[in-house]
Amino acid sequence: MTFCLDTYLQESENYEILISRAGFKECKQLIEEHAPETIHVKAGEKILGVRIIGIPPIAIGIDENKGTITLPYTKPCYGTSVVELPVDKEEIDNIKALDIEE
Amino acid sequence: MKKALILLGCPEAPSQTPMAVYSVYKLTSLGYQVTVASTPSALKLLEVSDPEELYVKNKIDIESCLENLEEGIFDLLVGFVHKDAAVSYFVTFYSILNTSSIAVVFERDPELLENYIESIEESTDATIVSARAYHNPTPLRVKFDRALKKLED
Repeated sequence: MTFCLDTYLQESENYEILISRAGFKECKQLIEEHAPETIHVKAGEKILGVRIIGIPPIAIGIDENKGTITLPYTKPCYGTSVVELPVDKEEIDNIKALDIEE
Repeated sequence: MKKALILLGCPEAPSQTPMAVYSVYKLTSLGYQVTVASTPSALKLLEVSDPEELYVKNKIDIESCLENLEEGIFDLLVGFVHKDAAVSYFVTFYSILNTSSIAVVFERDPELLENYIESIEESTDATIVSARAYHNPTPLRVKFDRALKKLED
């Protein structure tokens, strides 16, 4: 079954919210400072089954040792949060392939 | 027939719903088939404001709309921006649709208003209609009319 971020966040507790109800720029800076590696993607790119919302280039943090990614998650009435969650190696490779600055 | 998408933000600003109904009216009168994408709460306000769907005939949930959005399916994007999240949504819809766009930016706080305008200017070529507005939609309506007139000329 395809991974879906929305469903994952509703049904799992295995993720960390680093900041919530924040501004997008603040979230981008946090991702770039927090993650050992950062890639940047286009707005609307599909990652983990959902379109990433934000102002491009959108930072996605990658920690290969922990096996996690860190990404912004925006809802109209709640602003932007930054979520770090575990993903498998194959998914990390898929996400890295979306890097627009490579 | 030309197609326009109106993107609504969080409905807590009173100017948004009347401006949304007005925008649908104006764009329909200019020959657009208009779809409004919104959150469920913004949709409820629209449904009560226009119970017989005299103006707002096509409505879609913002998340479903984003999921299926593709370049070329709308000729015009009009986005209402009065929160940081709405800037992100507008820029994302703009990036995917890659079409003529108008951002209707409004906020009481002048500093926040300027921040939203700057973020949109930096990331898009959209026409920006902005005003320090919250309850009173008139400044936005006047500027929106001017932007539409320019678009049609």
